[in-house]
Amino acid sequence: MSLAALRHSLGNWWRGDLAYRFRRSPVAILAALVGLALLVAAMGAPVLAPYDAFDPAAANAADARLPPCVEGMFGDVYLLGTDPQGRDMLSAMLYGLRTSLVVGLASVAAAALAGVLLGLIAGYFGGVLDAFIMRAADVQLSFPAILIALLIDGVARTAMPAALHAELAVPILIAAIAASFWVQYARTVRGLVLVERGRDYVLAAKVTGVSTPRILISHILPNVLGPVLVIATINLALAILTESTLSFLGVGLPSTQPSLGSLVRIGNEFVFSGDWWISALPGLLLVLLSLSVNIFGDWLRDALNPKLAS
Amino acid sequence: MSGGKDTLLSVDRLTVRFDASPSLIKRLLTGARRRTVHAVEEVEFEVTRGSTFALVGESGCGKSTIARTIAGIQPPSGGSVSFMGVDIAGFRTRHAAMPYRRNLQMIFQDPYASLNPRWRVGRIIAEPILTHGLMKRGVALDERVAELLDTVGLAPGDAAKFPHQFSGGQRQRISIARALAANPAFIVCDEPTSALDVSVQAQILNLMKRLQRERGLTYLLISHNLAVVAHMADAMGVMYLGRLVEQGDAGQILARPLHPYTRLLLDTVPDPRAPKRARARLAGEVPSPLAPPTGCAFHPRCPLANARCARERPLPLRVEAALVACHAVEEGRLPSRPPANENCLATSGDAA
Amino acid sequence: MSALLSVQGLRVEIARRGRAMTAIDDVSFEIAAGEILGVVGESGAGKSVTGTAVLGLLERPARQAGGRILFDGRRIDTLDEDAMRALRGKEIAAVFQDPLTSLDPLMTIGDQLTETIRTHLDLNPAEAVERAARLLAEVGIPAPRERLASYPHEMSGGMRQRVVLALAFSCEPRLIIADEPTTALDVSIQAQILDLLRAMCRERGTAVMLVTHDMGVIAEVADRVAVMYAGRLVEVGPTASLLAAAAHPYTRGLMASIPDLHRRDVELAQIPGSMPRPDAPVPGCAFHPRCPRALVRCASERPPTFTVGASEVACWLADPVARSAA
Repeated sequence: MSLAALRHSLGNWWRGDLAYRFRRSPVAILAALVGLALLVAAMGAPVLAPYDAFDPAAANAADARLPPCVEGMFGDVYLLGTDPQGRDMLSAMLYGLRTSLVVGLASVAAAALAGVLLGLIAGYFGGVLDAFIMRAADVQLSFPAILIALLIDGVARTAMPAALHAELAVPILIAAIAASFWVQYARTVRGLVLVERGRDYVLAAKVTGVSTPRILISHILPNVLGPVLVIATINLALAILTESTLSFLGVGLPSTQPSLGSLVRIGNEFVFSGDWWISALPGLLLVLLSLSVNIFGDWLRDALNPKLAS
Repeated sequence: MSGGKDTLLSVDRLTVRFDASPSLIKRLLTGARRRTVHAVEEVEFEVTRGSTFALVGESGCGKSTIARTIAGIQPPSGGSVSFMGVDIAGFRTRHAAMPYRRNLQMIFQDPYASLNPRWRVGRIIAEPILTHGLMKRGVALDERVAELLDTVGLAPGDAAKFPHQFSGGQRQRISIARALAANPAFIVCDEPTSALDVSVQAQILNLMKRLQRERGLTYLLISHNLAVVAHMADAMGVMYLGRLVEQGDAGQILARPLHPYTRLLLDTVPDPRAPKRARARLAGEVPSPLAPPTGCAFHPRCPLANARCARERPLPLRVEAALVACHAVEEGRLPSRPPANENCLATSGDAA
Repeated sequence: MSALLSVQGLRVEIARRGRAMTAIDDVSFEIAAGEILGVVGESGAGKSVTGTAVLGLLERPARQAGGRILFDGRRIDTLDEDAMRALRGKEIAAVFQDPLTSLDPLMTIGDQLTETIRTHLDLNPAEAVERAARLLAEVGIPAPRERLASYPHEMSGGMRQRVVLALAFSCEPRLIIADEPTTALDVSIQAQILDLLRAMCRERGTAVMLVTHDMGVIAEVADRVAVMYAGRLVEVGPTASLLAAAAHPYTRGLMASIPDLHRRDVELAQIPGSMPRPDAPVPGCAFHPRCPRALVRCASERPPTFTVGASEVACWLADPVARSAA
C-alpha cells in the first residue's frame, strides 16, 4: 500500500462513525491514553527504568525495603522505594508491567487464534465436528480458568527439569492462560458463523464456485471479527489479572522475572510490618492497567453495537 | 415445449424434501415421529435459451427451493436437473462443476445481504472472474470491472466504494454486475425486485430486459408478484405446495387461466389501475408442507373440489400452450371466466 | 372542526452527529371520522415517521421540531407521556407490519387481549374474556374460545395479524394508525386482512391512517391518498381520481413505473435518479432534479399547495396564475 493510499484510508477511518464516537467519549479517550502510556512505559522499560531489574548486581541488599523517596546507603534515590532484595521498585514495576503485558497480549492472541479457528470450523461444517468441538468447550468451561492454568503449570513443572522450566516459564504461562480462554471465542464465532453462512453473499460465492476455505477466510472471517475484537480487549484485562494471580500464588513466573503479580506476592509478607509500598504500588498499577483496558473494551462493545448507536 | 426448441435447462421429476424431525433423544423420550417437509414434489419444466421462465406462488410453495437446487446450493432428494445437457447432481468434484457454475449465476432478493459488507465493490464484481481464472489481477481486470459497472448504470469510480455507500437499487445493480462478470448463459433471479420500491423496480426490470436482449441471457425468475411476472416472463409455472399446478405460455395463462388456484390468485392481486373492484377471494391459508393434503393439494381451498380431488392426484393435461393439473379441467367442470381486461386478449397472441 | 385528526405543519428532525436533518418537512393533512387515508411513498419518504409522530412515539434521535397534531380538536403532541399512553390503545390504536412486534411472545392471546381491554375499559375479568372471544370471532379466527389459550408462535402469520387487528379494535378506537399492515403477508392473506380491516372500520366508523408503499393496497381500501416524497406531501386527493389521473409529476411517474398485469412487453416508465436523502436536502421543489417537466422556479422556490379538482397538489405546474398566463 502506498503512503497516499494509507493516508486516504486513515482519513476515511477518522471521518467514520467509530472515530466520531471515540472523539465524543472523554472516558474512552482517557482510558486509551492511560493504556497507551502504560504500553509505552512497559516497552520502554530498559530505557526508562533507572536500574536493571534483572541484574542482581544492581540490587543492593543494604537498601532493602526503603520507603519511597528515601535516600539509600550509597546516595541512590529510589523514587518508589525498594523491595526486600533492595531492588528499585520503579524499575521492578516497569519490567513487571512489561512481563504482564507480554503474557496478557500473547495469551489473548493465542486464545483468539485457536478459538476463532475452531469456531469457524464448528459453525460452518456443523455435524460431528461441531459436536466434538463444542463438547470439548463445555468440558473446558466446567473447570475454573485458574484451575486449568494451575494444572498445565503443575504438569510442566514435574515433566521438565527446573532450569528448562524457568526458561520456558513465559510460553508455558501463555499456553496455560490461552487454554482457559479459547472457549469464549469459539462459542461467539460459531454463533456468528451460523448466521453468516446462510447469508446471501455467502450463497452467491457458493453459486460462483468459490472454494470452501476461501469462503471461510475471505468472506465469513472479516464479518465476525468485530465481536472478537471486543472480547479480546476485555479478555486482555482478564488475562493480565490471571497471570498476576498465578504469579501471586507462586506458580507463574520465577522471581528472577518480575511480573506485577509476583511483586505483590513478595510484598505480601511485609504489609503488616508497615512496608505497604512493596505490595500496594504494583497492585495499584495492576488496577490502573486492567481498568483502562476494561473501560476501553466496554466502550468498544457499545460503539460497535448498532442497536446502541445514535 | 416441443423438442425442436433449444432447451438450456430441463428439470425432470425434481423432488426436494427436508428432514424436520425432532432430535433422536426427543423422539425416543416422547415417541415423536420423524417429520419430512415436502418442499418440492416431482416438478418438471424446461427453459428455452434466451427466454424467461417465471415461477410464481405464495411463500412456502417451493419456488425458492427450486431456484437453489438449480443454482447448486441445495441438493435434490430425487429427480434431476440438467443444464446444457449435463446432470448437475452428477458432479463428483468442485472442479468438474466449474464450467457449469461459470454459466450459471444468481441474483438474490435482499440487496443488503447479498453483497459482502467488508468488500469493496470492485472486488465483489471481480470475484467470479478470478474464481474461474478468466483473467488475472491487473489493469485489464480493473477495466473489465469498470465496463461491467457501466453496463449496469453505475460509475467506474464506484469500484472503490463499499456496499453500504449505495442505495438498495444501486446494490441490486452491483449484484447484476457480479452475475454478468463471468459471461454466464443463465441467471437465476430469486425475487430480484421484491425488496425495492416500485420506481426502482422499474429501473431494475428494464435493465434486466435490456441485458437479455443484448446478451441473449436466459432467466429463471422467481417471484410472488404476478405483475412483475406478466412484464418479464415468456413462459411461467404456477406453484402450490411444492407442485406445479399450471405451466406454459405466460400470455395464455395470464389471459385465460385454467387452474382454479391460478384464477383466484389473479383475482386476489390488488390492481392500482382498477380500484375497489369486486371479485372472488382465495379463502383459508396454505396447508403445512409437513402434511400436504391427499389428492390435489389445493382441494381444501378449491371451490370446484369434489370427492375425486380429495382422493386422486390430478395429472398434467395439455390445453393449448399450457399444462394444467386439475380434475375440473379434465372433466369439463370449469366455469367460463369473463376476460379480465380487453388488453390481455390483445397482447396474449404475440408471446405465444 | 370536522376532522378527527388534523396534522398541521408537522416537522420532524433527526439528529446525527450533532446536526439536525429534516425528515418531515411541513406536512399538513386531515383525516375525517370514519375515513381511510392512505399515506403512500417510497422507503425514506417519511411516511412511517409521520405515523410514529401522530402516535407520540418518536424517539431520540428523532424529535418533533414544529407543527401541531390535533385529535378531535384537542392538541395531542404536547401531552405528557401518561396522558398520551391513555390515549393510545383507547382512542388511537396501532397496527404494525410485523405481528410479532405487537404481540408478547410469552403471553397467551387471551391474556394480551384482556389486559388491553381492562386497562382502558371498566370491565370485570369475565366480561373482558367474553369480549376478547367475541373480537377473535369477529376477526375470523375459528374456535375463538380455545384460541384464547394459544401463544402467538402457535399461529400462522395471517392469523397473528388477525389477532393484532382484534387487539387494535379491542377498545373501540376512533383512529387506527396502520403501518404496512400487510407487507409481510402473501397476496391471498393480504387481501383477506385488507377486506377485514375495511369491513370493521366501516361497521364502527373507525378512521384509519394506512401507511404503505403499495399502490395496490391503496387502491383496495383507501378513500383518499396522500403521496409523500422526501419528507414532504406532494399530492392529496380522492383515491379513484388520483390513481386514474395524478396531477403531480412524481405521482404520475410512480404510477407509470408499476408493471401492469394486462399489458405485457411494454417498457416500464422510469423516474431517473433517486430520492434525495435527508442529509442532502434539495432547494426548491424536492422533486425538481428528477422531474421531466421542471420549470426554472422549481429549483429555487418551494411550491405551495394548489387545488386541482378534488386534489391538493404541491407543484408549480398546478399554479393557476401560471396556467392562466400560459
